[in-house]
Amino acid sequence: MKCILVVLSIQDGKIKRSSLEALTRAATIGEATSSPVHAVIMHSSAASFAAEAGSYGADTVFCLSDRIFDAHVNTPVLAGLTTVINQVDPKLIVAASTESIKDIAGALAIRIDAATLPDVASFDMVDGTVTCERPVMAAKMMAKTTSAHSRVLVTLRSGSYEAKASSGAGKMVEVPFEWDTNLLSATLKEIISTTGNTVDLSEAKVVVAAGRGVKDASGKALVDELASITGAAIGASRAVVETGLFPATAQIGQTGKVVSPDLYFAIGISGAIQHVAGMSNSRVIVAINKDADAPIFDVATYGLVGDCFKILPLLNDALRKALA
Amino acid sequence: MKFCVCIKQVPDVQASVQTGRMVLNAYDASAVEQALVINENGTDEIDLILIGPASATETIRKALAMGASNATHIVMENVADLDSSAIAHLLAESLKGSNYDAILTGKQSQDSDSGLAGGMLAELLGIPYATNAVGMEATADGLLVTRQGDTGQEMLVLKAPCLVTCSNDMNNPRIPSLKGIMGAKRTTINTVQAGPVGTPKTKVEKTFPPAGRAPGLKMEGEPEELVAQLITKLQQEAGAI
Repeated sequence: MKCILVVLSIQDGKIKRSSLEALTRAATIGEATSSPVHAVIMHSSAASFAAEAGSYGADTVFCLSDRIFDAHVNTPVLAGLTTVINQVDPKLIVAASTESIKDIAGALAIRIDAATLPDVASFDMVDGTVTCERPVMAAKMMAKTTSAHSRVLVTLRSGSYEAKASSGAGKMVEVPFEWDTNLLSATLKEIISTTGNTVDLSEAKVVVAAGRGVKDASGKALVDELASITGAAIGASRAVVETGLFPATAQIGQTGKVVSPDLYFAIGISGAIQHVAGMSNSRVIVAINKDADAPIFDVATYGLVGDCFKILPLLNDALRKALA
Repeated sequence: MKFCVCIKQVPDVQASVQTGRMVLNAYDASAVEQALVINENGTDEIDLILIGPASATETIRKALAMGASNATHIVMENVADLDSSAIAHLLAESLKGSNYDAILTGKQSQDSDSGLAGGMLAELLGIPYATNAVGMEATADGLLVTRQGDTGQEMLVLKAPCLVTCSNDMNNPRIPSLKGIMGAKRTTINTVQAGPVGTPKTKVEKTFPPAGRAPGLKMEGEPEELVAQLITKLQQEAGAI
């Protein structure tokens, strides 16, 4: 049986949770189809993550070590992945649907002649056919999409499966990778900076997200306080990103980030379907909204009907005591 | 800069009721807008290219009315079976040998939400590219692109010829003026028949409404009571704090 290759992304010194979710799912499919499951890590110190990848079900962990990978530039990532794919000849390639992966998926698919099922909510492989369900039409519909192509690339939305460590221990293989920086300078002159929010929303355990109901700086201060008390990353709906109250990095939804925390606070968010598409995999959703008919209450585990300017000061006090 | 913007006609997904109305893909509208902004004080023209049925002419005229100068319409009546790869190959066939400084597309289309065609096209043409751009400026020999990454914004300089896929966070596309609309009506659209496309590598078997989450608990009352109830639920029922 041909193998499954999982591309693992490293961030803040660890393998991304969404990558481990993808690896766990691949390991389940590998077991069901008797396919070996391998992983690939591209990072300045790739080998240091190999043991963890093994414990989540990778039989072999291919490590490409080069500083260039830490810069999130698509050209070297494409070159590195192509090297490993040509070496192991996988039937199925799986990666978490991060911005860095979205950046390379199309070009990679052409380079390695793969059919692509992007941004899927679930996937499986039966008798060589890969099936998936993925949100389309700005998340208003789900599409069951299949591919019987000889090679298929799947990118998986975060929170779609639970990451589970097993007792396995993978074998580590260092893959030589020589990157000619002159090659890069022919196309990309420089990486000027990487700035902004350092908390990755898509990895956060708690997310506090603000919508139109948060209105202004005083509302934002209450949201910031709730986030600081709960150790949360801060998210936002499109409405308050457009007004400039929150940065574009914070946008959650079909066109922004997909998050799947343990606890999600939706503050003054009406719950348009495009927003819900980015957070409906959260385990517990708390919504606070003045409008009792707001669609956010259809997805909230606990919905509080009321003015967030009145509720948040009380909630912040109560949480501070509860978490002390 | 000499721009070519790849545009697509899609169903109006923003509408609360699906009426079958077809519109210019919102991300593509941002790509057209940014090309117009960059060329505001220059004489370089902006070309458009679209794959779609004869009726998609309406969408081309919309983008022309915004200020683009020329358009190529690759006519194909049944676009439903085209996957991203087929679209990228048709565009690459048409753009091969062209001398654009930059090719722009939306970062994804609102109907399939795949986000693949841009990267595929760049690879087929063998040119550098950036995706999910939220900012773009011209430099002496290329484009300075700000893209939204996983943890922040990344700025990179691409040497022309290059390709950029645009986010709708980049700008607010202009509403065409009356003069623009009248001018667009007189523009001759270069119409070509689509060449053969291979068997698609992926197939949409069916579409269906997403399963919702199980209904939760909606609480109304005085703020003090609501907060007390919520803390109890989070501690004792959900185990979330």
